[in-house]
Amino acid sequence: MCEQVNFVDILEPRRTQSGIFSFMSRNWYPQRTQILDRYCSPEDLKNIVENSAYLDAIIEAECSRTGVNKAKLQRNVHSYLEEMGLDKKLHIIRWMGVIFLKISFMMKIKMFVNEAAVLNLKSTIGKNPVLFLPTHRSYADFCLMTYLCYHYDIDFPAVAAGMDFYSMAVIGRRMRETCAFYIRRTLVGDQLYAATLKQYVRTLVAKHCAPIEFFLEGTRSRSNKSIPPKYGMLSMCLMPLFAHEVTDITIVPINISYDRLMEQSLFAYEHLGVPKPKESTGGLLKALHNLNDHFGSIYVNLGNPLSVREYLKNNTLYTRETLKPVDLQQLTNEQFKQVQSIADYVTTLQQKNTVATISNLLSLVLMQSVIKNEPLHFDEVLQEVNWMATVLRHLGGSVFENDVKSSVERILVVHGKMMRLDRQRRLRLISGVLMDMSNDIEKKMKGHTLQAQTMAVAVPIIQLQLYVNPILHCLVSPAIICLIVHKNLVDKVKLEVDYHQIRKMLSHEFFYLEHEEENRFSKALEYCIENKVVTYNGDVYSLGEDTKLQYLLKWSVWPALTTVLKCAEIMLKQCSCEHKQALKLVQQDVELARCHPYCLSLEAATNCLQGLVAVGAMIKLKREQEVTYEVVPTVMENCHSIIKSILPQFAVEFGSSNAVMLDDRTLSRL
Amino acid sequence: MSAAFASSTDSKMKSNNDNIRTVDSVKKKGLSDKNKKRANNASGNSTVIKVKSVIPRRRQDLLKWYGWGYKDSMFHLDGINACFTGNRYSIGGQTLPFLAQWAIDKLGVDTTREPKIPKMPTKFPDSRLPKNIQAELEKIALVSVDGMDRLIRCHGQTLKDMSQLRNNSFPRIPDAVIWPESHKQVEQIVSCATRHKFVIIPFGGGTSVSGSVTCPAKETRPILVLDTSDMNSILWLDKEQLLARVQAGIVGQDLEREMRARGFTVGHEPDSYEFSTLGGWVATRASGMKKNTYGNIEDLIVQTKVVTPRGVLEKGCRVPRISCGPEWEHIVMGSEGCFGVVTEVVIKIRPLPPVVCYGSLVFPNWESGFYFEREVARQRLQPSSIRLMDNEQFRFGQALKTESTWGGVLLDGLKRLYITKIKGFDPTKLCVVTLLMEGTSEQVADREKKLNAIAAWYGGIPAGATNGENGYTLTFVIAYLRDVAMEYDVVAESFETSVPWDRTLALCANVKKRIEDECRKRGIDKFLISHRLTQTYDAGCCIYFYFGHNTAKCPDPVTTYEEIEEAARDEIIACGGSISHHHGVGKLRKKWYTNTVSDLGRELLFSTKKTLDPDNIFALSNMAFEEQTNETKTVISKL
Ligand SMILES: Cc1cc2nc3c(=O)[nH]c(=O)nc-3n(C[C@H](O)[C@H](O)[C@H](O)COP(=O)(O)OP(=O)(O)OC[C@H]3O[C@@H](n4cnc5c(N)ncnc54)[C@H](O)[C@@H]3O)c2cc1C
Repeated sequence: MCEQVNFVDILEPRRTQSGIFSFMSRNWYPQRTQILDRYCSPEDLKNIVENSAYLDAIIEAECSRTGVNKAKLQRNVHSYLEEMGLDKKLHIIRWMGVIFLKISFMMKIKMFVNEAAVLNLKSTIGKNPVLFLPTHRSYADFCLMTYLCYHYDIDFPAVAAGMDFYSMAVIGRRMRETCAFYIRRTLVGDQLYAATLKQYVRTLVAKHCAPIEFFLEGTRSRSNKSIPPKYGMLSMCLMPLFAHEVTDITIVPINISYDRLMEQSLFAYEHLGVPKPKESTGGLLKALHNLNDHFGSIYVNLGNPLSVREYLKNNTLYTRETLKPVDLQQLTNEQFKQVQSIADYVTTLQQKNTVATISNLLSLVLMQSVIKNEPLHFDEVLQEVNWMATVLRHLGGSVFENDVKSSVERILVVHGKMMRLDRQRRLRLISGVLMDMSNDIEKKMKGHTLQAQTMAVAVPIIQLQLYVNPILHCLVSPAIICLIVHKNLVDKVKLEVDYHQIRKMLSHEFFYLEHEEENRFSKALEYCIENKVVTYNGDVYSLGEDTKLQYLLKWSVWPALTTVLKCAEIMLKQCSCEHKQALKLVQQDVELARCHPYCLSLEAATNCLQGLVAVGAMIKLKREQEVTYEVVPTVMENCHSIIKSILPQFAVEFGSSNAVMLDDRTLSRL
Repeated sequence: MSAAFASSTDSKMKSNNDNIRTVDSVKKKGLSDKNKKRANNASGNSTVIKVKSVIPRRRQDLLKWYGWGYKDSMFHLDGINACFTGNRYSIGGQTLPFLAQWAIDKLGVDTTREPKIPKMPTKFPDSRLPKNIQAELEKIALVSVDGMDRLIRCHGQTLKDMSQLRNNSFPRIPDAVIWPESHKQVEQIVSCATRHKFVIIPFGGGTSVSGSVTCPAKETRPILVLDTSDMNSILWLDKEQLLARVQAGIVGQDLEREMRARGFTVGHEPDSYEFSTLGGWVATRASGMKKNTYGNIEDLIVQTKVVTPRGVLEKGCRVPRISCGPEWEHIVMGSEGCFGVVTEVVIKIRPLPPVVCYGSLVFPNWESGFYFEREVARQRLQPSSIRLMDNEQFRFGQALKTESTWGGVLLDGLKRLYITKIKGFDPTKLCVVTLLMEGTSEQVADREKKLNAIAAWYGGIPAGATNGENGYTLTFVIAYLRDVAMEYDVVAESFETSVPWDRTLALCANVKKRIEDECRKRGIDKFLISHRLTQTYDAGCCIYFYFGHNTAKCPDPVTTYEEIEEAARDEIIACGGSISHHHGVGKLRKKWYTNTVSDLGRELLFSTKKTLDPDNIFALSNMAFEEQTNETKTVISKL
């Protein structure tokens, strides 16, 4: 499992006097994803879509249904395509490349790429469309693949971008010229737009000879870990395969890990319910100002290319849809299920390609130290980081580190605003400043209005948790097993039943494939036994000897389980509750009970509520715009008692009294 | 398709205790529900074009319940004056100063008396459909057991149909009518029939002239008419491939109007196309006037989807041609409703021609006109339509002359002088060819030049575009003549055949002679027999006969007519003609079926039936199928 990957910093060679300009102005002959007799310009692509039999048929039908004038609908389609369509201007791309490099150097970024994987990919493309499916953790994701393609002479990917960028002055335009195409967030309500997009994407995949790049998750994951994929875009992209317009489609799962997210504090505030500011060029420029700092490394890890045809075992089912004109062919339900299965699978591949960075390891160590309420000396930190790396390797994660000591020192610089060595060279988490909660912000808060004090504590913890999160998918399964066993002796049946029940409650918090779970359970159990987390006497399971590992496992899912418990409690009290209201109540309760601050996260609460729906503890009703939950009392009580029975007890005070937290003001006085 | 719709209709039904309900009473509620449903369906990026049909569900609101065509359009005789009412056709609203005299001379009509117009019946046989089945059907689609709804769907357009309709003397009318909207609903209806053992008759436009759609008289099981008229959506339209997938209930004129509005044409125009349906065309192997350009129905169709009691028959690919054993989809072509319901059809479309132009040619006699047609076919120079009318029809055209010179083919002033005096054509012999040409202006001009050259060779003379155009418009008006004839005690009917070129002239002469003989034998002296050559092929042509006679001396006019037509058909077959070129076998021409297809062919027909419809749900008893009575049923079960 643990593959040795060789990462290369592809920005390194540009760090010379003339490096940037000569590189960005060199002759460039990119490799295409398909060898065709005729290549379409961006304008050609739009024309093909505009004149497609599909859109014509949709328009005809709409005309006859609504009586609207045909020419008007055609004009609509035209303007949709103008809004959506990508453009490609090499000189713009070159200039953008220059800017990208300049900014990267300003941010002191290294961009590590799994070069062997890229070269391997290059040797295989050329026969059929290629989809780049990176994880989405930061806006920076948008430029990385484009730059990587320039570096490795692969044609620029057509990148699906949200309309937020479209409306940004200058940037929107420039992004389009670097092959971005724009899609609206919501397709409901405008049939014709949806049809146009569908046809455009389908045409791009089939006829544009460059990779198509989009984010399966549909949005930036604010928690820095995988969220369940959306299926719409992938459905559109795979249509040419199901219609047999192309021989195959290659999917490249890509994991992008950051030592430091530009958005970390924004995300932390979003978790708490402070709304994200609207994207604007002004905002971007302001952000740029903050970029003159150390941002560490970015790791771009390309997974093995996945042939969709092979994945489906050549079973791109014959369907009656073949009787339709090819342009009108739609996905059948069966095929949609195939798409879902591919999307889910690719998400697991992205997870598998996660690169555990020193940043992650150090965060684990620091979070543990916060929970233990014991600051660690730098030397201990190094030991612990090493230990964490070993644990993760055993769990099948890939860890990127060359020299732990220098790496930790480097990360301490990168995360200097978040953690610091104090005078005794003990690693401390810097607590946040008291935020001035203006009325304005208070009004916009999405959830419960938290106290400034709460936020000041919560923000640094949540930020730290962001770097713990990407690792958690390795820990969840053994952690649940460990927790079930630590309270009671259980036999295998009970263990398995409880495990699945709990895992399902966390199915939205930690990405989950139901049909994989049996396998995961046995693997995790095996791991636990091998590593002395639990022992088995042939009859019942009980705790093993490795208390250190047990401790890690226990606290790793503690916040998530606490959130589930809080949700269950609230819902048992309410019986029936609107989603928004439930979130507020959970936050309010968590604030009062001084739980782990990550439990304040609206995203976590939403995930846990959905988990409770998944296990049937409540029913989700959609009324008008509002989602309402109706509790199924027996099931909910059962869930509540299971969680309660296994929830670990950590007596931690998050806040200034915690020995690991370091008040910023004290710091400045030091 | 719509559990929601079904259940909501259902609840409405229950709240209405009146069991006999006209379509109208249910329609409004049913429709509003349906519209909602449609709006929902539309949310799926639908390419479905729901066509608004000219023909309403209550057909009798627009159409003449006791005859042909639109209610407002008919010939009207009043002493020596005649007119054609309405404004749907170009002679509409005009007086026809010559028609009455022609009718008096030719058919001995007494134009001074009142026309016999039947009263709309008010009493109907009770519906035999059990209530529980009705309730089950109502969950699927709109159902009516209203008497009028049932009566107007128990027949086609044969003389016998018309006579029984006017006298309200049908031995059997259907017990209920259902209007499915989709393939799915048809599947549900057919499976319901299989479960409950009732009979289904697919009903398109009811223009059948073979008795095929007429209710089998001796059927004892409940009969449900499946009216396809609500299945009239264009499911998709691909202008690049020049194809459309259309629901089979679409009416010809609706289909053509929708296509034309988008710059295309199907080009399938049987003379009944104002009322007949796509499914009906398939089920009868229809032939359109412009088949030379667009093909007959079998050339136009790329794919058909059929619901049979044993399942759905449809090829798994949509291809221009295939070699895969016998083409089973063709089994439904000409199946006359006996194997199942055609629900969806993929049909070819063509871009509208830039130029449509008419022409006419006058020939000294039938024979020269015939040889001209033969030569055109040999050289494969047929324009979209080319027809040869005999002298009788030419003169009938004169009789339809209006005050403002409208008429069939008629020769005015100088032209008449030129043709009769200078060229020496005998006005009692001359024949007319009408032409319909389509294409670019160069193509049309070129074709006209070539045709004129061939015509000249056979002694023909160009007689202008107006004559040609009038000739074609006349086609649609002629269909209305039978009603006025019946109102004045004349029975009239047309029948047709296909025949090899070498036997055509003899066949025409022999059939004419035979009919004359048969009339004389029965003391009928006022009659009309006329024919025209309407289609040409490499290997032969289609001859279309009109025959009508005064019934003053007949105790049972319809039987007399049928005897004479039977004799004529015997003569046709003896002369090497066929049982039918496009009307089909139905119940009228069963006598000649087996000899036409051979004994083995008949057996194949039976085997097919056994495979597709073992319980004889589609008991239309057309072609070689016997009517199923209680006795035959027991016989079958003994076998
Ligand atoms: C004035 C006049 C002119 C005509 N001119 C022509 C002509 O030029 N060319 C020509 O070919 N015919 C012509 N016909 C005959 C007639 O119009 C055709 O046979 C036509 O195809 C019948 O179509 P319909 O929809 O009216 O079918 P119907 O009369 O309703 O039914 C005819 C038969 O088809 C079956 N049927 C109908 N719909 C379906 C379905 N969806 N699935 C399965 N079976 C079905 C019925 O059960 C029945 O057996 C003419 C008839 C008249 C009265």
